Amino acid sequence: MLDVGRHPNIELLSYSEVEKVEGRIGDLRVTVRRKARYVEEDKCTGCGTCTEKCPTAVPDAFNEGLGDRRAIYSYFAQGIPSTHTIDPDQCRQLKGKKCGICAKTCQAEAINFDQKDRIVEIDVAAIIVAVGYDVFDPSRIPEYRYREITNVVTAIEFERLLSASGPTVGHLDRPSDRAVEAQIEELEKKARKSQKVLGKLEERFGESSAEFHEKYQAGQYQGDQERQKWADKYAAHLSVMEPLEDLKKRAEGFTVAKRLAFIQCVGSRDFRFYPFCSGYCCMHSVKEAIIAHEHEPETRSTIFGMDIRAVGKGFEEYKIRGGDHSNITYVRGRVAEITEGANHNPVVTYEDTRERKVKSQEFDMVILATACAPTKGIIELAKVVGIELDQYNFVKTSPLSPVDSTTPGIFVCGCAESPMDVPESVAQASSAAERAAEIAIQPRPEMEHAVA
Amino acid sequence: MNKEILIIGGGIAGIQSALDLADMGIKVHLVEKLPSIGGKMAQLDKTFPTNDCAI
Amino acid sequence: MPEKRDEEIRIGVFICHCGSNIAGFLNMEELAEYAQTLPNVVFVQRNLYTCSEGGINEIKYGIKEQNLNRVVVASCTPRTHEPLFRISCAEAGLNPYLFEMVNIRDQCSWVHMQEQEDATTKAKVLIRMGVAKAALLEPQEPIISEVQTRALVIGGGLAGMTASLALAHRGYEVVLIEKESNLGGMLNQINKLGPTMTDAEELAERKIKAVSEHPNITIFTKSVITDVQGFIGKYQVDVETESGVKKIDIGVIVVATGGRTFVPEGLYGYDGRRVITQIEMESHLREGLDQDIKNVVMIQCVGSRNEERSYCSRICCQTAVKNAILIREQNPDARVSILYRDMQMYGVENEEMFRDSKAKGIRYINYDPAQPPKVDSKKVKVFHSLLGRNLELPADLVVLSTPLIAQEGAEVISQLLRVPIDENGFFLEGHVKLKPLDFATDGVFLCGSARFPANIRETVAQGLGSASRASIPLSKGSVVVEPIISVLADEEACRGCGLCVELCPYSALEIQHTEKGRKVHVIDVACKGCGICAATCYQHALSINSFTDEQIEAQLEAFLGSSVVS
Repeated sequence: MLDVGRHPNIELLSYSEVEKVEGRIGDLRVTVRRKARYVEEDKCTGCGTCTEKCPTAVPDAFNEGLGDRRAIYSYFAQGIPSTHTIDPDQCRQLKGKKCGICAKTCQAEAINFDQKDRIVEIDVAAIIVAVGYDVFDPSRIPEYRYREITNVVTAIEFERLLSASGPTVGHLDRPSDRAVEAQIEELEKKARKSQKVLGKLEERFGESSAEFHEKYQAGQYQGDQERQKWADKYAAHLSVMEPLEDLKKRAEGFTVAKRLAFIQCVGSRDFRFYPFCSGYCCMHSVKEAIIAHEHEPETRSTIFGMDIRAVGKGFEEYKIRGGDHSNITYVRGRVAEITEGANHNPVVTYEDTRERKVKSQEFDMVILATACAPTKGIIELAKVVGIELDQYNFVKTSPLSPVDSTTPGIFVCGCAESPMDVPESVAQASSAAERAAEIAIQPRPEMEHAVA
Repeated sequence: MNKEILIIGGGIAGIQSALDLADMGIKVHLVEKLPSIGGKMAQLDKTFPTNDCAI
Repeated sequence: MPEKRDEEIRIGVFICHCGSNIAGFLNMEELAEYAQTLPNVVFVQRNLYTCSEGGINEIKYGIKEQNLNRVVVASCTPRTHEPLFRISCAEAGLNPYLFEMVNIRDQCSWVHMQEQEDATTKAKVLIRMGVAKAALLEPQEPIISEVQTRALVIGGGLAGMTASLALAHRGYEVVLIEKESNLGGMLNQINKLGPTMTDAEELAERKIKAVSEHPNITIFTKSVITDVQGFIGKYQVDVETESGVKKIDIGVIVVATGGRTFVPEGLYGYDGRRVITQIEMESHLREGLDQDIKNVVMIQCVGSRNEERSYCSRICCQTAVKNAILIREQNPDARVSILYRDMQMYGVENEEMFRDSKAKGIRYINYDPAQPPKVDSKKVKVFHSLLGRNLELPADLVVLSTPLIAQEGAEVISQLLRVPIDENGFFLEGHVKLKPLDFATDGVFLCGSARFPANIRETVAQGLGSASRASIPLSKGSVVVEPIISVLADEEACRGCGLCVELCPYSALEIQHTEKGRKVHVIDVACKGCGICAATCYQHALSINSFTDEQIEAQLEAFLGSSVVS
């Protein structure tokens, strides 16, 4: 990633989109929209001071909405480029309100609220489409109740929970517990405010609010308007403190999630959604279960799948190691339903196809191994670039020319072509580079094609 | 002079294509719609089967 | 030992505020004052951002106007910014290796946000250490080595032919060697290729023709490599051909030796006639299946996913499904059952073929490896683990799906090329995720089933991909290496024990017989400067440029010298 940022032969056009492609192989003119960041790329040093001071909190897409970022942000800490970006839909200044705090704090003077989108035209010989995939939205499967049951998450959300740079600094706190903790934090903020007001009154009248309130209720101070106000404030304070104490008591019992269920083929191998196999999800679940066990040795995981597809180098061995050393149980079967039990625990109902029995089991958390869905923008992009897609909206290729699209000079690699894991994506990326280089190299030798 | 190449998408696939071509001495324009490159892989904590860091 | 220097050491220290990333937590004024007091420091400058144009100009100004001959920047991580600062030094006329970086952001202000006083003290110590090392830095020149623009491709199967054609098409000379008398590799044994049912023979013929007619490709069949000397860009390879040994100069090497099928001697009554392997099934299908064959049973994972061979061979399920479909096409009345553990039909095309096969009447029966099927004369007994009962399947033909195993001679090639193989005998790539087609050693690449079993689509992709990787040094025509590498600093001390040679992960060391006896020789273009050799050498004969014992000791002395800083 870093190498891309500083390679003299790479022009990085981040926060940009391709709008038009004209011409033919060897001679293509591409129109790119460079979206306004409202931050000058050549001035911003990525120091992050603006982000610290920005008052507007926004759910953080990089952390799958599990944490917050600010309206001015860097996409993630190690992101390249480190140039910050203002989210125009969230920024107070850009929405016409008074703010501009970032501009005041930026010592590099990089903030520019007047920046506009720029259109650039680039002449190229060939194009490589490497737009990747989208995570399948599991709320389309009603029986899994994703979003209804807080402790049902996707594999990529779980990845952020496992990550030391994620919203929980790597602790497997359950989303339902995190929600309670967030509530506690909010109530504590309120309580501190009301406590401050009460403190002033207590100082003024020389007695504690509790003592005062007892007397007040006993009928003293009738008609005393000031004390009437004090009593109201105290009542309001109590209405915060009571639920706060309850929540705090509940939070005492919180521990990290230790009983995990991983559900395979969520949206894949499913005629309602995608009939294909997404390839990497089985191993992704095994890895997440192994890492969760590394974080907390008491963790026990169950992976529910039809076939556990461990087809890469070292994968089968890894899967077995997960079973032997990381408390993973593999259950053959497809999960029929997830319901919510006590304490927000998800309950998984499934048929154990080896024992031929329908069973239910309670877990602390359920992780959905979601399908590798074609990316949303691909249909539009395919039109712009002029290539055909297959029946699922992956870029159409053939086995003997695995990175050639249906249009000469347009190549594809990675999950835009079909679901695949990292080493396959990397290998395909090099293949696409090879095919593109054959067109770019000048003078072009007149020789046989490598691809049939 | 070699001609130039456009790559759409700054995930692991786009990055690898860009680096290969750039190392061959071919000028590359890498377009990414998000503010930073890295794609899905940057979101991963560790990778199978060696548990190496993703970034 | 380096010569004593006569020149006056003039060090400039540039301390970066990084906006408030550093300045928000450390006492910058105190740091600057302290730096001024350090030995050889003649110039200290604080910058809001040393990496900004303004900061870079200050460094250049310092070098030109203050005659600085060493530069220390105390800022963030060298991972992101060292290249920029080095280039800036060079632009101002200072050798870029007379630059030293101190990380007071990640190592001080970020990790000790709560202890600002201690963090400032730590930053002082780090700067003191950096200055002490900087005084001893030596100028270095990048190492440039020519690259012979000729590639050697070992293996004439689909992977090797694809890589050869791609490289040749790009204008490079290719030497393609194949140990058999014909090119084509495994394609020669296969009937049709899934999922498109492409004719393998026809594909092989087309590829062989293209390779044979290509003016840039020289083919040696019935040939093997017997010796490899040299390093990236400059290999001398001995190829034993039918007409004697040929010595060829080579720039890069692509390993495309493929795999071979496991022969299941002694398993499930394998006899090569009624109980056969999938690869034998291919020739039956090619010749046309006997119309008497009405019941076929296939057994998956024969000789794989077991104690002896723990890996899943990736492509056997696809092969079984494909052949099952083809059997039904030739003998529409035939009943075909596939006994499996997990159907490994990953991806879009495979799963589609799998579904298609079910629609075409192929039966799938799940078995438990603890209760494997039994092959009798004329039938196969199996415990159907999903029905929970024993089945007896009539079988005119039993087809065993055996794994692809490492190629014969892979170990010899790995020794000749000094690249590793894994516990299953497949070649081990540089990084299982990020460098699937490279070896850790520069100049050698791999593709196809030599790495791990691969289907047609994957083999073609990897063949093209390895050509891309291999073409990088070829297109540059030379290799440029950062001079921070191992050097034999004290030749006298070296006893030629070879311990370092054994440990070097990049094959960058070799023992040479010199007039003074056995001595280690560093192949500088292959060295990555990891330092394992220098740390291992008990004679301290080896040293790493810019990380010499002298420099590191100076840093340590600066660290220990005064544990009280004020």
